[in-house]
Amino acid sequence: MVIEQYTITTTSKYNFPQNPIDTALPQRFIELSLHSLKQVQNQTIQLNQQTIQQPLNSQETLIAQQSNPPTLPIPLIPKPEPPTTIAAVDTSSIKLGETSKGIIVAVRGTTVWKRAKNYAYLRVGPFIFHITEDNIQEVYNALLKAYFPEQNPQASPGFLQIPVRMANLLERWLQFSLAKTMSNSLILFDGSLTAGTPDTPAHQLREILATARSMGNTVLAFTKVTTLRFNGCLLTEAFPAYRPPCLIAVANIKPKPPLTLLGEVHVAKLARGNYAFRLDIDREVPAPKRVEAVERLLGNDLITQGYPETLRLAHILCTFTANEVIAMQHFIQHRYRLKIIDRPDMHRLLFGPFGKGEIHHEIV
Amino acid sequence: MRLYRKEGNIIEILSFPNENVEKGDYLLIENGESQKALIAQVIDVQFANIPGVLEELLRSLPDGGGLIQGEDVDPLEIAPHITYIQDSRLLICKIRATVEGEALSPSTSWLPSRSQSSVRKLPISMLLKLARVDGNLPITLGVTKENSLLTIDASSLDGRLNIITGKKETGKSHLSKLLITSLLQYKAVVVVLDLNGEYAGLGLTSDGKRNAYYNKIHVLTPSQNFKVALKQLHLNVILNILIHALHLPGTSAREFRRIWQFLKEKDSLTLHELGEAIRNWNCNQNVRDALFSRYYALVNSGFFTDNPAEATLLEECLIKAREEGGAIIVNLRNTSPIDRQIVVEYVLGKLVELLTSWRLKAVFLFAEEAHLYLRETYWDDVVTRMRHFGIFTTFITNQPDTIRENIYRQADNIFLFNFTNEHDLEVVSRAARVDAETVKSIARDLPPHHCLVLGKVVRDFPIVVKVRALDVKTMGETRLFFKEVN
Repeated sequence: MVIEQYTITTTSKYNFPQNPIDTALPQRFIELSLHSLKQVQNQTIQLNQQTIQQPLNSQETLIAQQSNPPTLPIPLIPKPEPPTTIAAVDTSSIKLGETSKGIIVAVRGTTVWKRAKNYAYLRVGPFIFHITEDNIQEVYNALLKAYFPEQNPQASPGFLQIPVRMANLLERWLQFSLAKTMSNSLILFDGSLTAGTPDTPAHQLREILATARSMGNTVLAFTKVTTLRFNGCLLTEAFPAYRPPCLIAVANIKPKPPLTLLGEVHVAKLARGNYAFRLDIDREVPAPKRVEAVERLLGNDLITQGYPETLRLAHILCTFTANEVIAMQHFIQHRYRLKIIDRPDMHRLLFGPFGKGEIHHEIV
Repeated sequence: MRLYRKEGNIIEILSFPNENVEKGDYLLIENGESQKALIAQVIDVQFANIPGVLEELLRSLPDGGGLIQGEDVDPLEIAPHITYIQDSRLLICKIRATVEGEALSPSTSWLPSRSQSSVRKLPISMLLKLARVDGNLPITLGVTKENSLLTIDASSLDGRLNIITGKKETGKSHLSKLLITSLLQYKAVVVVLDLNGEYAGLGLTSDGKRNAYYNKIHVLTPSQNFKVALKQLHLNVILNILIHALHLPGTSAREFRRIWQFLKEKDSLTLHELGEAIRNWNCNQNVRDALFSRYYALVNSGFFTDNPAEATLLEECLIKAREEGGAIIVNLRNTSPIDRQIVVEYVLGKLVELLTSWRLKAVFLFAEEAHLYLRETYWDDVVTRMRHFGIFTTFITNQPDTIRENIYRQADNIFLFNFTNEHDLEVVSRAARVDAETVKSIARDLPPHHCLVLGKVVRDFPIVVKVRALDVKTMGETRLFFKEVN
């Protein structure tokens, strides 16, 4: 007997007047989400005891060497003309709880764009998945195939990595959508343009960058926290004397295979106050155009604390608040009649107030 | 609704947006297995402290304070769940009683299970049934929020001290008129000290026709249709007037006593003879002057007369009211403060005299803004002596701090209308029959004509009632300059 029949329809275009991107609904995401959740009915759920939202990606360990002659800063002049649309993408994932067979995770992505003086956003999700040993391979590869059909099926990630990997998949899809629907714009990514990791296969990122270029877009990727070192110093702390706004090209980075750098690495000091970020700019874009892209960013977006507002909004809007986590738990509990169980938190049990988990991050 | 926390007799209940619970509502917290239930009243409704709500609100306003334009693609429809969680509320409730079988007890020592208990709204009508707020002499005060009638028993006002208070134009006088007319239906004797002449129209309908109470309402206006002859006065009454209303010193009062007894023996107790006696009395000149000044105050009040035909026999009105019930309205509207005190001293003295001699069984006294005419020592009398004589007082005031604290502590029933002033609420909250939190929280939000009923009339279950309309002629309205313009 069919208990619940879901009608899954694709909305080809959202009724949103200023939406510049192709917003074909990630139908496969919905189908897989609903399908995976159907298997969870009437089970017990242990709510997540240590909530971690998309932990920092294991970053590549790259070392840059001092070039000869020494690196000089490229001064930047904000260029408000021509008016340029700035778009940014970010995604978030979170583990909602554990069932007897697996875990329940939620994924959400946001694109934000600034045209003239107005910001607008499109938020996709949350998509909730019940990931088990039985379906982890199927879910991950089905999604991969749906959005990047040319890519070969991969070995599925483990339970620990799956929330981040699914968020990455959604992020790549959103980036790809922006790259092919926007024109003559600046597209901001959260993270670097280093490819060749399980999260970011090189050909996937290459395709996104190529599509963006073909539409006249330039991709700028901001890394908030980098482990990249320059002459032994953390890259973002290596040039304290240079006055913003400026760009410092970091050459001579030799990544270990299979890592590939698809962007030219820079240190961007875009505003006063000692804020510097690693900035990767599509290396297929000619050098003068790369500098001009950053100048257009300065002239067309708010830059506070050296970080573009569009990208900040994308991050803020996709992050799960505690309230939303409770709401999603409420949703799965009511829709799928999950019974919440309270297994003792071993960290708390053993270490009392010191038992904050191995990686303790409070969600906002 | 789910039971969340208990501290003292405050219980906190988590409520969700689809559960319509408001301040003043009653909840029944049942524990299936133990056959017991708690009755709690909601005294405040707050937002539940949901983590992440601040961030949720902040991020909806990142664009320089304006709402950021956007669209959410929410295929699983999580948004209603977010709203549901965000809008969940915390009901701060006071435990009022424990129900065990059919019996109610004020005990709060028992605590229901947090995980197993169920919480539901308790209709006021059911609460009244459980608390047995009924009787043979029903007085319908009005309707509760649930549109059920709130009917109290007239006997719960009998022998009690009541206070009707609230800020201006909230319906205090209206309620007191309702109580008076209802008491008249049960043949009670009511005396009203009417400061603003508001009760003179009790015997008339709003369009000026005679109503059912017409023959039971006796409006006495001092120095007009309400005068007394000295002969009708008992020495104690006149001495009370002189000492308490006119502040006659003790030595002079002793001389006055002698003069009074002298005139009484001569059977010539008239104003004229009294003046002559003071003039010719062999006493200290200062005493004579003191007596003369009080004598002229009595004469100038116009309340005293030597003409027996003019003298109204208050006693007769009261005795007449004894059989079929009646209200004596003492209209103090155009009476000066000193004369007001003289009249009130006389009325109260007469009442005590009639009650001590058992010619009257009991009297319901309604006193509007009593601080304007009652002497200081009377306040203590109200809570100690007067009720033993059979004077059951209802104070009506919009200045709660004019009533002494001990009156609030001893009050059996309080009919509380809206107050917004903290100080006023603080004063009222000293009443022994209710907790300060309930008074402060509920009274502040009462709309006009809604009254929080506290005390014995509602078996100590505070209930908000919208006082029913009454078809009597409104008197004592505020005179307006722009009335015709508006």
